[in-house]
Amino acid sequence: MIIDAHVHPIYFDTICEDDSVLKFRSEQFGIYKQSPYSYEEIIAEMIYGKIDRSILLPLDLTTQSGGCIVSNEEIKKIIDRHPDSFIGFASVDPYRKDAVEVLENAFANLKLSGLKLNPSKQRFYPDDKLLWPIYEKCREYDKPIMFHAGLSWEPNALAKYANPIHYEQVAVEFPELRMCLAHFAWPWVREMMMLMIKYPNVYTDTSMLYMDSFNDFMERIFMKEMEPQTLERNFAKQVMFGSNTPRFRAFKLKKAIENLPFSEKVKTNIFGGNALAFLGEEK
Amino acid sequence: MVKLVPISCMSKQAVQMINITEEVHKIVAESGITNGMVAVITAHTTTGITINEPLECVETDILQRLEKLVPDDDKYIHAHFLPSYGATSNNSPGHLKSMLLGNSCMFPIQESRIVCGSAQHIYLVECDGPQTRKVYVQMMGE
Repeated sequence: MIIDAHVHPIYFDTICEDDSVLKFRSEQFGIYKQSPYSYEEIIAEMIYGKIDRSILLPLDLTTQSGGCIVSNEEIKKIIDRHPDSFIGFASVDPYRKDAVEVLENAFANLKLSGLKLNPSKQRFYPDDKLLWPIYEKCREYDKPIMFHAGLSWEPNALAKYANPIHYEQVAVEFPELRMCLAHFAWPWVREMMMLMIKYPNVYTDTSMLYMDSFNDFMERIFMKEMEPQTLERNFAKQVMFGSNTPRFRAFKLKKAIENLPFSEKVKTNIFGGNALAFLGEEK
Repeated sequence: MVKLVPISCMSKQAVQMINITEEVHKIVAESGITNGMVAVITAHTTTGITINEPLECVETDILQRLEKLVPDDDKYIHAHFLPSYGATSNNSPGHLKSMLLGNSCMFPIQESRIVCGSAQHIYLVECDGPQTRKVYVQMMGE
């Protein structure tokens, strides 16, 4: 089972019926010159890349921008149509007065599989106690959290909120809560490693390409910023394959990771086993 | 008379030759244009239009030669974040293969049919798939 743990379905045509919604999404997400694509196209690319399932991430920006990049209901709509291809996460704006109720609905009624939060875009520090009821709700339902971490390409999204250092207290106080700090928290790769060494409930993903080619960047991160054996020895169960589609094309990133000299066992973990553990489907 | 008909094609590979001959011939036959010219033009910068013989071995040689001329893992400058897209460029091989192939082909139309050799088939060559592509069939004549 190959899982892409980081996909933003903003151009899935199932949820692109309204041009004004699409414009809002494009501006808030900061991605341009792309058009909606059909399920057939999405599946063609997944088949070509030998990717079985993708985790779909919404984002609730109600108090910051007056809407959602993708809403929980839109995620539910996609999942209902294609349950074998996609795994749907929820999102909630922590500043909403009804934040906990929104999350309760997402888990209890919409049956979504986890929570997506973006501290940079939603403008909160992860260790702000405002978030504690939200983390409690995830713990209650045994649902993982996918946090944005590190640099964000989105407009009005400050990296200071997404420094790994702000996640440590969450990892300490919620040791049962599985949390992924996406994008290897680039450029804070060392800080990301620091958290993963100490906290086994902390995961990261590979959805990063901030300069150069896929091959160059993956080699820089996994062979130069860390020693070639570092991931194999220390983080074999904490790094998930994630693409950040539609910013990057999943099969190209996947190929660059396949080219790295990891053992087959570790590659199996990266490409699916760790995502299943993160989702709570494989203890 | 001038007539424009778009064709939509979905590729399923990163690099793929898609034979669109039959479709183009049908469009010309149904266009109402008896004598003139037809141009087949791709709407993209990472696809090509080429004419060649529809033999599997020829197609394989074309694709393998393209790969040798423009290897995927070479060091390209078009490999960085593009703010105007909000995405990272990483498809230079597609652009270069497209440049080698060209973006169009032309044939005469006579008695409502394309005039061409029996081996001359029309290919849309995908160089950065899989994706849905658009090709324009532009006919001019009387």
